[in-house]
Amino acid sequence: MKFLEVENLSYALGDFKLNNINFSVNQGEYFVLLGQSGSGKTLLLESIAGFNGVKGKINFGGVDISKLSPEHRDVGFVYQDFALFPNLSVRDNITFSSKYKKIENREESLKDLAEFLGLKSLLDRRINNLSGGEKQRVAIARALFSKPKILLLDEPLSAIDPTFRNSIMKFLKEMHRKYNLTTIHVTHNFREASYLADRIAIVMNGEVKQVGTAEDVLNNPLNIEVAEFLGFKNILPVKILDEKGNGQFSVDPNAIHLSKEKLVCDYVYEGKLEECMGIIDHFKIYISVGDIQFFAKILKREYQGCYANRGENIFIGFDKKDVSYL
Amino acid sequence: MKNWFIYLLSSLAIVILLFLSIPLLQMIFGSDINVLLDTLKQKDVRDSIWLTMRVSFMAMCFVLLTGLPLAYIISRHNFFGKSLVEALIDIPIMIPHTAAGIALLMVFGRGPVADFFESFGIKFVDAEPGIMIAMMFLSATYLINGAKEGFNKVDIKLEKVARTLGANPLQVFLKISIPNAKKDIINGCMMMWGRGLAEFGAVVIIVYHPMVAPVLIYDRFTSYGLAHSAPVAAIMIILSIFIFLSVRFINNRLN
Repeated sequence: MKFLEVENLSYALGDFKLNNINFSVNQGEYFVLLGQSGSGKTLLLESIAGFNGVKGKINFGGVDISKLSPEHRDVGFVYQDFALFPNLSVRDNITFSSKYKKIENREESLKDLAEFLGLKSLLDRRINNLSGGEKQRVAIARALFSKPKILLLDEPLSAIDPTFRNSIMKFLKEMHRKYNLTTIHVTHNFREASYLADRIAIVMNGEVKQVGTAEDVLNNPLNIEVAEFLGFKNILPVKILDEKGNGQFSVDPNAIHLSKEKLVCDYVYEGKLEECMGIIDHFKIYISVGDIQFFAKILKREYQGCYANRGENIFIGFDKKDVSYL
Repeated sequence: MKNWFIYLLSSLAIVILLFLSIPLLQMIFGSDINVLLDTLKQKDVRDSIWLTMRVSFMAMCFVLLTGLPLAYIISRHNFFGKSLVEALIDIPIMIPHTAAGIALLMVFGRGPVADFFESFGIKFVDAEPGIMIAMMFLSATYLINGAKEGFNKVDIKLEKVARTLGANPLQVFLKISIPNAKKDIINGCMMMWGRGLAEFGAVVIIVYHPMVAPVLIYDRFTSYGLAHSAPVAAIMIILSIFIFLSVRFINNRLN
């Protein structure tokens, strides 16, 4: 069921423009907006929250909210740097919304959130005395306490020590399930997106380039632009697969087999080994086949070495199942 | 020898500190305490000090009410003519105070603006409102700029989040923006109030009587000499220092 529908949303900020954005989020879904810094994903999230006067429609449960002010949209917002109110204690930060809107079971909600988020002992502390992780939990508690219909998270893990990211990702997923939330999470990190997302929208240069399930988007990019952004390697013309057309395909460097002997694969080429670099646990190997250069990754635990010396001939091969058409 | 740079800086800093403090210390400690107490017993001195404190405080309150919104608008919005508005706020501190007094006298002493206020029974020449506008005109800059700096330091994301939590723009302004800019706003208020207490040039053009303390000091100096004006000056300096140290202490405690 479509819970939030963004239709033809446009917004200009100086030279930058969100251009004709369309996507929808289902109820109970963990939806990730994935894009590089400066791609417009935070601006898009802020537009959904109502901070920008946008063109187009934002339907929320079937009602157009694009003209409503932020205080009437029922969204919870957690910024990258948490944006806690320094003039208030942890408790007053969390319960801030209860001064302005009716919160049912106020005390129970506070107790439940404080318990779930491990904030019980911090409720009377000042904000300035908290660690980064504690601040993040307070910001999340503050957003959840207001009982939002949708939770908007802006790069919530980027200000967190990398050591704790995995546990926080796990926690975000648990929280999403426990409170039956609909969440939009903005990030530039593929790992975060692939772990958390039910569905992903790729945002580039102020446009949504692709929307789909996490598996689909991360494995089958619609075009070269998205493929390059997602870190796809070996983006090559389909002609070399003996197929017609001017399209391109990509093959995962991990799916390429190498051998001095002829290989048994759907596609096999003979080329020249250009470079072989030993990295911690794998080798990066570059092979040129005519004008085309392939890049392969061989795990050290699978094979110790580069198969051939630089300049020597080598066979490379891969199967149809590993080909992604762009 | 490796601290020579610190010694150089300290030596130069001491020169300016001595320059700033010696006249004040001379006024405070060079005065006979009995003379100061006798001066304080004089009604015209007490009235004049009270008038100065009170009117300067009222001027500060008026600018707090009108200048805070202006400071917030400048801090949060870009608009056509913003630089002009900012220049307009800064200009009064650059022009001679007597010239400012003449300009105010031309507007509030005669003509349609004066007539308009007079229809409500408000007179500016030789009246308290005249003192107030002179103080306001020449010291509002300190409060407005102080508040603007304070608002600039408040992350706009705090205000955005507060909106998502149900607060309307006025509630955000009152509960988030002002409390988090409080230190700079209070400092701006103190600066304005202090500057108002010291205002002489513009006030003396518009209002000679009732006399504010700086006018009384000038009047006694020209009429009776240093011996009669110095104790009043010393009392004003002691009172001002006491009040500002107290407010700054409270402000630091609050933060």
